[in-house]
Amino acid sequence: SRRLRRMAASQPGFLTLKPSSDPTDLVGGRRKRVNKNKKKNWNKFSDITDVEEFLEDVRHQERTTGGLLSEKSDDSLFFVDLGQTDKAEQNAEPDEGKKRKGKSTRPLRIDLILQGDSFIPPPKDVLAYQKPNAKKLRRIAQKAEQLAAKGVVPRAQKKLLNRRLADRTVKKAVAEANNNPDRDYYDMWAQKSKSPADPWCVLQTGKQQVKRPKKLNQKPSALPAVEVIAPGGSYNPDFLSHQALLQEAHEVEVKKKKQEDKLEKQLAVNREDKATAETALREEVEGLIEDEEDEETSPNKEDEEASGAAITVTEKKTERQRKKEKAEKRKEQQQLSVKRQTVQQQQLFQLRSIKAAIKQQEQQAKKRWSKRKEKQEAQKAQPRRLGKLKFQAPDLEVQLRDELAGSLRQLKPEGSILKDRFKSLQKRNLIEPRERAKFRRKLKVKYVEKRAFKEIT
Amino acid sequence: MGGLQKKKFERGAATNYITRNSARKKLQLSLPDFRRLCILKGVYPHEPKHKKKVNKGSTAPRTFYLLKDIRFLLHEPVVHKFREYKIFVRKLKRAYGKTEWSAVERLKENKPTYKLDHIVKERYPTFIDALRDIDDALCMCFLFSTFARTGKCHVQTIQLCRRLTVEWMNYVITSRALRKVFLSIKGIYYQAEVMGQLITWLVPYQFSHDHPTDVDYRVMATFTEMYTTLLGFINFKLYHSLNLVYPPKMDIQAESELKEEFEEDYAMNSESYTEKLSALSGSLARVVSTEEEEEGKLDQFPAEGEDVEKMEAREKEQKQLEAQKKLFDGLKIFLNREVPRESLAFIIRCFGGQVSWDKSVSIGSTFDVTDETITHQIVDRPNFDKQYINRYYVQPQWVYDCVNAKILLPVEDYFLGVTLPPHLSPFVEEKEGDYVPPEKLRIMALQRGEKPAQEQEEDEEEGEEDDDEEEEEGDDDEVDEEEKAEEKNLKKMEEQKSQGKSLQVKVTPGKVKAENPARLEQEEKAEEKRLAIMMMKKKEKYLYDKIMFGKKRKVREANKLAAKRKAHDDAEKTKKKKARK
Repeated sequence: SRRLRRMAASQPGFLTLKPSSDPTDLVGGRRKRVNKNKKKNWNKFSDITDVEEFLEDVRHQERTTGGLLSEKSDDSLFFVDLGQTDKAEQNAEPDEGKKRKGKSTRPLRIDLILQGDSFIPPPKDVLAYQKPNAKKLRRIAQKAEQLAAKGVVPRAQKKLLNRRLADRTVKKAVAEANNNPDRDYYDMWAQKSKSPADPWCVLQTGKQQVKRPKKLNQKPSALPAVEVIAPGGSYNPDFLSHQALLQEAHEVEVKKKKQEDKLEKQLAVNREDKATAETALREEVEGLIEDEEDEETSPNKEDEEASGAAITVTEKKTERQRKKEKAEKRKEQQQLSVKRQTVQQQQLFQLRSIKAAIKQQEQQAKKRWSKRKEKQEAQKAQPRRLGKLKFQAPDLEVQLRDELAGSLRQLKPEGSILKDRFKSLQKRNLIEPRERAKFRRKLKVKYVEKRAFKEIT
Repeated sequence: MGGLQKKKFERGAATNYITRNSARKKLQLSLPDFRRLCILKGVYPHEPKHKKKVNKGSTAPRTFYLLKDIRFLLHEPVVHKFREYKIFVRKLKRAYGKTEWSAVERLKENKPTYKLDHIVKERYPTFIDALRDIDDALCMCFLFSTFARTGKCHVQTIQLCRRLTVEWMNYVITSRALRKVFLSIKGIYYQAEVMGQLITWLVPYQFSHDHPTDVDYRVMATFTEMYTTLLGFINFKLYHSLNLVYPPKMDIQAESELKEEFEEDYAMNSESYTEKLSALSGSLARVVSTEEEEEGKLDQFPAEGEDVEKMEAREKEQKQLEAQKKLFDGLKIFLNREVPRESLAFIIRCFGGQVSWDKSVSIGSTFDVTDETITHQIVDRPNFDKQYINRYYVQPQWVYDCVNAKILLPVEDYFLGVTLPPHLSPFVEEKEGDYVPPEKLRIMALQRGEKPAQEQEEDEEEGEEDDDEEEEEGDDDEVDEEEKAEEKNLKKMEEQKSQGKSLQVKVTPGKVKAENPARLEQEEKAEEKRLAIMMMKKKEKYLYDKIMFGKKRKVREANKLAAKRKAHDDAEKTKKKKARK
């Protein structure tokens, strides 16, 4: 350490900034004896403060002045103080004051603090300028340049480009709403339908594509999608067809009225149930006047009941009775079998009539079958019961003779097509008839009379 | 006996069905979502044969689905989208509640959407399948396209529907596929023949909406969602089948014609093109611009016997169709502002006519009122003064009736101020022996190329009436005579019909000799028939008599109706006379 100190001090033109550090002081101190054959002790007990101080000083100088002071020329270190520049400074100050008002000229204090004040330029990062495999890369780049000049796009780039394009289209499709008025269509039925499942998909997922059940392709009703109104529904109808339509509408109304009347009749109070003066009086006197006849009949009834109970008990059969019954039974069976045989024999002669009967039966069965079939066919065009509610046929659109417009300009359309379409869907069993959901309040409403209101009432 | 006890409702019908609620639970969807899914996939509720067996002994009315259908629904990718959407709504609600606007923004950007293309493909594996089911789609799209943009449904849906219907109409115009039109009190029925399929649709009149309350808009919107997808794909295919550009573009020629100076007055720049398309007045651009159309002729095969007749009939039909397609060719028709523009423009263009309207009515008018080459002007107001001599002023019904009659009807019946003849439904097809209204008979006569005599007489009659009121007695006599003649005719007709012959009312005037062999032949035939009837077995005779009786009854009923009609007409006439006095 001493050597180091000496070396530093002996350097030419070395100026220390701290005057207190005198080499002689260090020599005069008391020494502690330590073994020097161990590296640990070297680190621990060798005194390097002076070296560090020196180096720190060098660094300080370099930082603050940009080099060692000893190496600097005198001109750069000193200047001659003439003391005449005061006026110039005074002139400059107000200008600065004006400038201060402008925000843009002066940097922020925070920026100033953060600004580095060192004169040492940052070390050059050599690695930043070096590239691994530079030669190889250069060669590759050269080749790519050549290819580009020829117009060949490298494979990776091509792949990227392709992917980017695909991505774009997919994204667009996703973002586009189904009811976008500018959406585009394509030829859906152009490519022949491939095998039921896409082979790629099958390979990947191991699953077959799900088939649509065949029953779904059947229409749920035989009715046509658009039922054309009867010729009487023309805006300027032929007289008779108009009458026919009116008749039809009339019949519908009559049917409705009949049903309503029936309901009313059923709901009406029966005339016999109504109280009259007579019945009211009888009710009042009920129980006060006793009927004598009732008393007479009642004991008889009790007797009958008693006798009925007695009959149920039966006596045991004797041996003889049993034998007799058995014999009778056997005889009866014999008679029956004989009869059956004779009948069978007789049937041989009835063959023709039997055949006729069978034929008739078959015919009847056939007739019934065809009738049933017919009914089923008719049912196909009928609306089915698909839910809680039955299908309610919409009112017929009819205009009376005086409602009919003379010309197309004055025509007043009847009914709503929206409703017609909706009912048609219901009629064809595509949707079930429903009622509009009723609004139900979940929480009770609490009524409170306000004071002002209370005062009035 | 041995074996386990059979449990109830573990096999048979009970296992084939599933109630709506359990199906919903199985799919983990809310009821509205479930309903939507069912509509999109074409899964409809099913009424079981034995409800009690299916409903585990209960007879309570329930909605059932087939279990297989529901199992099929489980594989639908749209189900996941529905769940995603539910979560999206929940997140959005939360973000709104917390007033996190940036989160709302971000969520809205990533709103989950779904496509129905695969469902369309799955439900309609071939194009013809789809085309058969298009009636509903058209009705719904036309209906939705007329909705006001008031929030009953998405504005985008309305726009899409409008676009699709315009595309469809343009297709029908270019392919000249329209066959029938019927103006009813409900709306306008159209029928077109596209690729051999008859397609009927109903279009509401303009501005005729009141929103009924008992219609589930959500269900209707779901149907529309499905149908817009379907219709779009069908349109695409149809356009390509005609070599048209899709999305539709105007012809260069038409485009230049339609260039107007003040386009901004009608629509915004972005919308003006679609508006022009929807005006239906310009023709569409083709992929391969070929002006001359190929005249496809039926292949000729050597045929024998009955086939020849059939072939001839078919050829005749084909010819008629061709003629119908060119019904309005060469006509220049101007629409006044009070007539339904879109419907009329659509029809007139469908049959090859040129059409225009006042500039202030709508975009896309091609010529002015002052054009001297206009042949018809369609007017629907009682008093109309400024008139050109070289054009007919007719009421709009003329166009519709011409289309249904397949010929250009005489314009006289449709002049201004004239009581119009009834507008008959073209969808009614009378069988033999049914009552046919006299107006239709007249049209049929016109189709055959005859000038109806009755009409002339009527005209004369009216002229006489105008001239002199004193001559009424004579008129009455005439009327009586007419009646008698008609009755005779009717009797003849009845006889002919009762013999089971079709009415061949061919009047060939002035050739006595030519008639004789025909009559002889006829008599011979009648004789043969009578003999054949005589030779019938008892059983067959009975059946024959029954059939003949039925026919006679029909004819009688028809005659009754005709008489009724006559009485009505007479009553009207007398009324008119009285009014005139």
